[in-house]
Amino acid sequence: MRFKLYIAVVSALLLLALGVPALAAATDPKTFVFVTFGDVDSLDPAYAYDTASGEVIHQLYDNLVAYEGGSLDKIIPMLATQVPSKANGLISQDGLTVKFPIRKGVKFHNGDVLTPADVEYTFERAMLADPAGGPVWMFFEPLLGVQTLREVIAKAGGPGVDAKDFDAKKLDAKVVQKVYDIIDKTVEVEGDYVVFHLAKPYPAFLQILAKGGSWSSIVNKKWMVENGAWDGKATTWPKWYDQAKEEMTLYQKAMGTGPFRLLTWDRNAGQIILKRFDDYWRGPAKLETVFIKYVEEANTRMLMLQTGEADAAVIQQQYLDQIRNVKGIVVKEHLPYIGNTALLFNYTIPVQGNEDIVGSGKLDGNGVPPDFFADIHVRKAFNYAFDYETYIKEVAMGAGSKPYGPAPAVLPFVNKNRPWYSFDLKKAEEEFKQAFGGELWKKGFKLTILYNTGNEQRKTAAEILEANIESINPKFKIDVQGMQWSTYLSKLRASALPVFFMGWHMDFPDAHNFYMPYMHSAGAFAGYTGQGMVDLAKAKFDALIEQAISTYDNAKRQELYYKLQDLAYEYAVAVFYIEPEEHRVYRDWVKGVVYNPAYSANYDFYTIYKEVR
Amino acid sequence: MLTYIARRLLLLPVVLFGVSIFIFGVMSFLSPYELVSTYIKSPEELKNQSLDALVEKYGLNDPWHLRYIRWLGNVLHGNLGYSESANMYVLDAIKQRFPASLELALFAVVPVVFGGIWLGVVSAVHHNRLLDHATRIFAIIGWSLPSFVAGILALMFFYGYLGWFPPGRLSAWAHEIIASGGFRQYTGMNTIDAILNWNWPIFWDAVRHLVAPTITLAWLWWAFILRITRSSMLDVLNKDYVTTARAKGLPERLVINRHAKRNAMIPVTTVAGLMVLGLLGGMAITETVFDYKGIGLLTVQGAQQLDYTLVLGTALFYGVLLVIGNLVVDVLYAIIDPRVRLE
Repeated sequence: MRFKLYIAVVSALLLLALGVPALAAATDPKTFVFVTFGDVDSLDPAYAYDTASGEVIHQLYDNLVAYEGGSLDKIIPMLATQVPSKANGLISQDGLTVKFPIRKGVKFHNGDVLTPADVEYTFERAMLADPAGGPVWMFFEPLLGVQTLREVIAKAGGPGVDAKDFDAKKLDAKVVQKVYDIIDKTVEVEGDYVVFHLAKPYPAFLQILAKGGSWSSIVNKKWMVENGAWDGKATTWPKWYDQAKEEMTLYQKAMGTGPFRLLTWDRNAGQIILKRFDDYWRGPAKLETVFIKYVEEANTRMLMLQTGEADAAVIQQQYLDQIRNVKGIVVKEHLPYIGNTALLFNYTIPVQGNEDIVGSGKLDGNGVPPDFFADIHVRKAFNYAFDYETYIKEVAMGAGSKPYGPAPAVLPFVNKNRPWYSFDLKKAEEEFKQAFGGELWKKGFKLTILYNTGNEQRKTAAEILEANIESINPKFKIDVQGMQWSTYLSKLRASALPVFFMGWHMDFPDAHNFYMPYMHSAGAFAGYTGQGMVDLAKAKFDALIEQAISTYDNAKRQELYYKLQDLAYEYAVAVFYIEPEEHRVYRDWVKGVVYNPAYSANYDFYTIYKEVR
Repeated sequence: MLTYIARRLLLLPVVLFGVSIFIFGVMSFLSPYELVSTYIKSPEELKNQSLDALVEKYGLNDPWHLRYIRWLGNVLHGNLGYSESANMYVLDAIKQRFPASLELALFAVVPVVFGGIWLGVVSAVHHNRLLDHATRIFAIIGWSLPSFVAGILALMFFYGYLGWFPPGRLSAWAHEIIASGGFRQYTGMNTIDAILNWNWPIFWDAVRHLVAPTITLAWLWWAFILRITRSSMLDVLNKDYVTTARAKGLPERLVINRHAKRNAMIPVTTVAGLMVLGLLGGMAITETVFDYKGIGLLTVQGAQQLDYTLVLGTALFYGVLLVIGNLVVDVLYAIIDPRVRLE
């Protein structure tokens, strides 16, 4: 009897539950649900440096200039009314001054009107805040020729960059003022114009400022100051220098001029709700509400898309087969991606405490010597021993192409007549025979290649090398081992990994953004590739990389980047093995999708609308 | 009994101190550059990152005892720290995530306990017959099934195929109502808040989102209650007073329900109490599959990311929960079984 009652209660409950409209969002043409994974790190443009944060910031703010549609080379005005060039006189002939006429009548979400002072404040505030690990280096490099505010502080007479227990709040008042003066001079208001003063001509400066780069989003000075951000005074900035992200004013708030305003970032529910900004200067968006939901489980995301609860979802490549032919779902594949993945070499491998990876640390067949990869023949042999085609076809499931070198093929100044190494075990053997004057071939080596656990594609790449190299000479032994990310990171920091995988996704679409990390002695990876690589870079690459980013002459730039591409090949600086491709998955009622590989966002919701049947 | 309760509660700070020292001790084996992985989650995030700057910024190179003292000082001021993986203060994360898990556990406990007891009684009454075997096999399949498999099966059937019970805690429209300020969150438990707001669409929406994870959890836990109930029932069914009841000519239903089941329920109650605690800590996978943002999911994600601030905070919270939960079970046990006295 009781059981029957229980069944009755449950049935009633189910029936009632079913009465609620399940897919209200999907059938509403004004509401868009985008399901992705990961989480936003911060909504502050001066801090955010990840794609999840960039996705949201993209919808909330505008930049001075933008790319036209999906193009990378056509830049159009946005909050500036003209795109600076030497032809229109907004870039000075020496290339050191770049002027932007600021658009009038543009409103922020609270109704305040945009002024040139907001633009000046945006960049000065970001540089004086310079959060560790953030994107602000992109302003420092063109404007001051440095990477961090610490370098500016040192220049102004403050503690050196390596000074321990550095505390900006304890800086001498004169240093504080001098640092401010240096920063203040880089961006200035002249009537209706904002003028940037560059340390050297920097042809990628417009790309750094363009829409897609969340760091260059223009903020509202008055609102910022009212909400506890830097007050704009010369003497107070240390209070806001390198704050913890959660203490930064824009961490979870937003006040931009973009097509959507932030209704809520509900970290508990794992979602962001955006509402249309009706006073948007380009006219209101077609969508009224956008939900960005963070769902970790891939199966759940796929089901949400299939049921129509989600309009678009991030589905990784390995799951695409499951939805490729599902009715009502659009899968756009083979979209360009400005990035690549490489296996990098450590030219000076430490031995002490690293025996589990390098064995004996000698050229005796039981390990590798510290200068193993300093020998150019070893590097070339590794390049010949990688089966690029099989990897791209079988492991990456066809979603990628073979690189030409450090810079992705979609960028200008890539010489497509200079292909990268091809899989050729005979040539690999020849190179190995020449390495270390023939000693390596006689004695053999033993090496461990590590990958961060969970990254199956990198594991397989290492196994491809293992199988091919071991087949060349039975005295060559490679062991592939997974390592927890935290331990892997600490090994990288100690430059202890003989070879390591690294992917680079562009910050701005310019070849410089790739030659710098891969080949410059001060690049992002230089710290992990050992002193040997640093010395090589200083001797052969640095000057060319710096020349190539210091001229607006495209013919000259092309010549220099072609030369660098040749050098990358000649010195076999890394195994560049794939330029991955992108894809987008959404329902067939979603229209107006514009894909631009320079966007940090998956979607620009401003152009999107729904045609729900 | 009051002395007993007070004594147990006095033990609480000692337990928490032990837990925190233990976790900090374990974490002390990690280098600052392992701990910095909390802030850099993958190789792709290494772009222009100065690991040294991050280590310095977050004080990760300080000796562990200094970090412990600093952390303890903050805790004594009511600040459990900021969690990088949850992107919020640890206390806020616990406050926001715990009600979600509690709500799911409370919803799950009803079918788990009553379903499990019912299955256990059926099994015992039909001892060694087909129904007994069938019931046990059904429950043991659930118990043996990895929870992510059971979860995905339930999700595919109830959501993907039938379109009934979606993942998450609420639908998009309900979230919008809450975000727009038209709904006050008193407890963080959506069903209860919906009743307090007298908002029945949101109530039913919350229930709809609870059904599939509840069914999954019930199937996973039924074997647990079933086995205890079954063995306890078998034990009681052999007692003299049950034989006497039968000899008196009482109908079998009354013998089972009035004489056998009541006495068989004493060990089940103890286990059920502890099971609620177990449910609260062991729902991480179910929460992941159903995108149900609860404290289990929070803790697992924090641990995976070596977010020691969050791990410590949630460990302390679980410590409090376990001590108090055990105490409640002990007290309940004494109330149900007058032979037990807490002295």
